[in-house]
Amino acid sequence: HAIKRKIKETETKQTSLILLTVGAALNVDVLKYDEETLSALLRVPSRGLVKLWSSLTLQGSYKNQTCAFRVLQVSPFLLALTGNSRDLRLD
Amino acid sequence: MCADLSRTPRNLLVCERSSFLDEKNRLSFQVEQLRFNYKVSLLLPECGSAPSHLESTLNSFSRFYLVKKLPIYELLDKDFLQNAVYQGSVYGLSFGTRIDEDNCVALMPNGRLVLSLDKDSYEMLGFEGRPSRFNHRTCSRFVVPVDLKERSMAPGSPGYRRLLRALSSHLKLQTDFLISHHPGGGAALKALLSRYDWSERRPEVCSRRLSDLVCPDLRSCDPHSLLEWLGAADADVSCQNSSSSFLSTLTCPEPTTTLAAALSASVSGLLLPQDVQRLVEQLRCHLQQEQTASWASVTVHGFADGPVSWGDEEHGVLTGGENFYNLLMFHDHTYRLHLATGPQDGCPP
Repeated sequence: HAIKRKIKETETKQTSLILLTVGAALNVDVLKYDEETLSALLRVPSRGLVKLWSSLTLQGSYKNQTCAFRVLQVSPFLLALTGNSRDLRLD
Repeated sequence: MCADLSRTPRNLLVCERSSFLDEKNRLSFQVEQLRFNYKVSLLLPECGSAPSHLESTLNSFSRFYLVKKLPIYELLDKDFLQNAVYQGSVYGLSFGTRIDEDNCVALMPNGRLVLSLDKDSYEMLGFEGRPSRFNHRTCSRFVVPVDLKERSMAPGSPGYRRLLRALSSHLKLQTDFLISHHPGGGAALKALLSRYDWSERRPEVCSRRLSDLVCPDLRSCDPHSLLEWLGAADADVSCQNSSSSFLSTLTCPEPTTTLAAALSASVSGLLLPQDVQRLVEQLRCHLQQEQTASWASVTVHGFADGPVSWGDEEHGVLTGGENFYNLLMFHDHTYRLHLATGPQDGCPP
């Protein structure tokens, strides 16, 4: 457990570094941001997916405001993100 | 550890080039194999609004029905089997259920009923099935496929009675259900629908006009870049990569042309392969008739949470549940077809 905690602490510091310094570690593209739904489309090279996903998961606050990121879908195909049947609403 | 972090789940992309004039082209078969279609998107160049024949095709996609809290044993009802399953094709899918979390049900046009169950539900059901292909270390998911058209599952047979007892007593599986019938439509499903809270739905059609769309060379563009560009057009993502913005480096693959106008249209709901086939034929006519139309793109997305995707292949969701294909048709009857699946899928046909 001790080892795990240590890794998590290190990762959290690395996470902040990644998020604060855009492009320093990973080339992340913000393809689209929708202010109404507070959702975004991001693009990252495959080798950086786990780092980016971990960073988003661990990011709990920004400028002293609590926040959370929820990853809705991940795919190597941008085209797949425009046809997610979980968006189908039949109320 | 770094090597592990760079690995991502595998996806499959099948790429094909053929011609409608080639007798051996398998497009009709491939379209028919993706049974449960959620969304069909079109991209038409040099087109500000949908031509009337295409608009009427989009608006005439078959209606489907949403049944609230349908007990799944009702799919074994003798009248339903006689009037719907044995005559024509039923397309049925549980709605609001997630294949990675909940129990999901699909009724396929070939009469196969597929249940995708978690371990507890499978054990309660007490009917033969098999572990999911996509179980990781423990068997947490099971698939129960039943051929309702087989003689061993005819009403009154021992197998039929066992399944009926399993679904009505042991595991009282009940979900919201999307259902459609070809060619009978609602008439074939009337008896089933009348017993529950149901509503008829029309597939939703949307369209928008795109201006100054930067477009790659569609014949020579590599598949991944092509699909990325199509995704960008569909998602309304800019490929400008202007020097004043550091947000995105996405660009259109070179060489490029700029289209003054393009039409992006989509229809979504429970869509039948027969309607997709009809749309493809209408697009072919459009390409032959319109001088300015040199190509047309159709993307068809399958349901992310269906127990099956292509044919009878088991389907699951890991990081995503994509199962889609893109058909890029040209004026000279040739086409490029790309069929893609996610990590928990078999190979597309």
